[in-house]
Amino acid sequence: MPILDIGYRKWEGPRSPAWTRAWVVASTGVGLVWSSTWIRRILMLLTFPSLLVAIAFGVLEQNLSESSTEQAITFVQRNREARRVLDNAGVEVKDLRNNPAAVRHFAWSYLLFTLFRYPQAFGMILVVGLVGPRLISYDLRSRGYLLYLSRPLTPAEYVIGKAGVLYTLLFLVATIPALTIYVVGLFLSTDPWAIVYTWDIPLRIIAASVILILPTSAIALALSSMTQESRYAGFAWFAIWILGHVTYSVLWSAQQFRGQGRRTQILAENYNALMYLSPYELLGYIQKKIFGLMVADTPILTPVLVAVVITVIGYTIAYWRVSRILKL
Amino acid sequence: MPERIASIENVTKSYRGRPALHQVSLDLPPGITGLLGPNGSGKSTLIKALLGLVKIDSGHGIVLGYQWPRDARTLRDRVGYLPEDDCFIQGLQGIQSVQMMARLSGLFAKEALRRAHEVCDFCDLGQERYRTVETYSTGMRQKLKFAQALVHDPDFIILDEPTTGLDPSQRENLLDRISVLALEKGKSILLSTHILHDVQRVCENVIILAGGRVRLADSLTNLQRPSQAGIQISVVAEVEKLEQQLVKAGFHCERSGVQELKIHGHPIETQALWRASQEVGVLIQRIEPAKNSLEQMFLNAVRGV
Repeated sequence: MPILDIGYRKWEGPRSPAWTRAWVVASTGVGLVWSSTWIRRILMLLTFPSLLVAIAFGVLEQNLSESSTEQAITFVQRNREARRVLDNAGVEVKDLRNNPAAVRHFAWSYLLFTLFRYPQAFGMILVVGLVGPRLISYDLRSRGYLLYLSRPLTPAEYVIGKAGVLYTLLFLVATIPALTIYVVGLFLSTDPWAIVYTWDIPLRIIAASVILILPTSAIALALSSMTQESRYAGFAWFAIWILGHVTYSVLWSAQQFRGQGRRTQILAENYNALMYLSPYELLGYIQKKIFGLMVADTPILTPVLVAVVITVIGYTIAYWRVSRILKL
Repeated sequence: MPERIASIENVTKSYRGRPALHQVSLDLPPGITGLLGPNGSGKSTLIKALLGLVKIDSGHGIVLGYQWPRDARTLRDRVGYLPEDDCFIQGLQGIQSVQMMARLSGLFAKEALRRAHEVCDFCDLGQERYRTVETYSTGMRQKLKFAQALVHDPDFIILDEPTTGLDPSQRENLLDRISVLALEKGKSILLSTHILHDVQRVCENVIILAGGRVRLADSLTNLQRPSQAGIQISVVAEVEKLEQQLVKAGFHCERSGVQELKIHGHPIETQALWRASQEVGVLIQRIEPAKNSLEQMFLNAVRGV
């Protein structure tokens, strides 16, 4: 027998507006993800590439003078790979000569794109592959969706809330490190006008993050909503990225460029319809374009449209699956 | 207190052409209403329709003063729902789970946690509240779902098979809590169950649903009022001996339970009853005014469906 039992008490108090409830789904999901030691370790591990890029920014800024720019240009002229990068971006070596601001903009963009394209993209695939498949499939298996939807939450808000978990994670993996590096670069720069010459880079970072976050979240949620077994969704997630990339690489290698002019080769190297077979290549292409590392006449509308279509289809599948279970 | 908690009319819902609810019209008075019906009678569909979780084909009404089904979403802030299904959010502790439900109903995080502890205490969730929900027994999950249904202090509570999986003492405790909520705290409760005892124990009103139609809806007192005046006798054993003796003595009686007899007529001379019992050596345990058994009412209502 309790010594004191206050029993049931009435509750009265302010309530948050109904449209904010999706945030509860997202924050609960993020809390659950954060409780996993492995996810925390992976997220911590993913900060190391950012540190390397930040160091590169520091080294670059401390040596960015007219004489060192000249040395760098001489290096670029002798190095075939470096020339290729400049050619692909449509940057003329003469434009960089005696122009540290242009070198800075190009170098920062290139370093940030490299960060997005390699370590953070692989980190994203891993983190979303571990977290995404569970998001809806666990609720389908344990019928947790009934708890969510018995409150003022629509299936669309539920899906947005679940997507919010992935948005938060990808924001941590991609956007925050890139923006931090940019700020570090500004602080390490000896040129007080660096912010004036690079003001567009944060916007490019945000645009590149959006193009990374939205389609990948849509694919992950669609897969998660299609099964009660998260391992199947996880398998399908990794299969999409790995098989897509392998198929692209094989077909790309099979293509021959002999007999084509340099300009055609650069275009083909940048824009190739084969990239639609691989989400990794497609997103990489759009990000490269966003960072201005591609010749101006390469198309952007079609790849962005394809990414938008993937996003819309992904969210539609997730919404349809969640709405449908209530009708059974 | 409003005269009607919910009033719905002509609600129809079918799944792929198979009707689940057919022209259901209901008035739910305040207090505890038992929703009875055999499996597949449409109880869960009706509950989900009330919550706006399933889209009805036709019908309309007013629930807690809101236009239904148009305002079903707003309504859900004022309704607590304990689902029949075993449902939980994997990985969350019990207390986090209740807190999350409070936040989904609009409580701010800190207040939601305080309130979650308060209802966990009320629902007898002790230190188990700090365990992850997937480790809970069926009984504990029922308590957790009950706490989740109450955490935002709803005016109307829908309980779908709340006593499933509870041992007898837990069941009695839960029914006590339900009574407290209705009688002392003024909550209106819709209790969907298969267990007639639970309905008799706590409900004031009963709705019997069968084949997607409302077969019976009235107060329990009215439903249990006998169609003919008479008395009810309970005996310890050998009810058939007493029955034969009473028939010989000119009484019009019928069996109404395992060791129970219903004697029709008014007034009844109790001296004659005692005499008959003494003659056959059958001990009478209880004599009370006759009433219809809920079981019989239920069977009559669903017969032929």
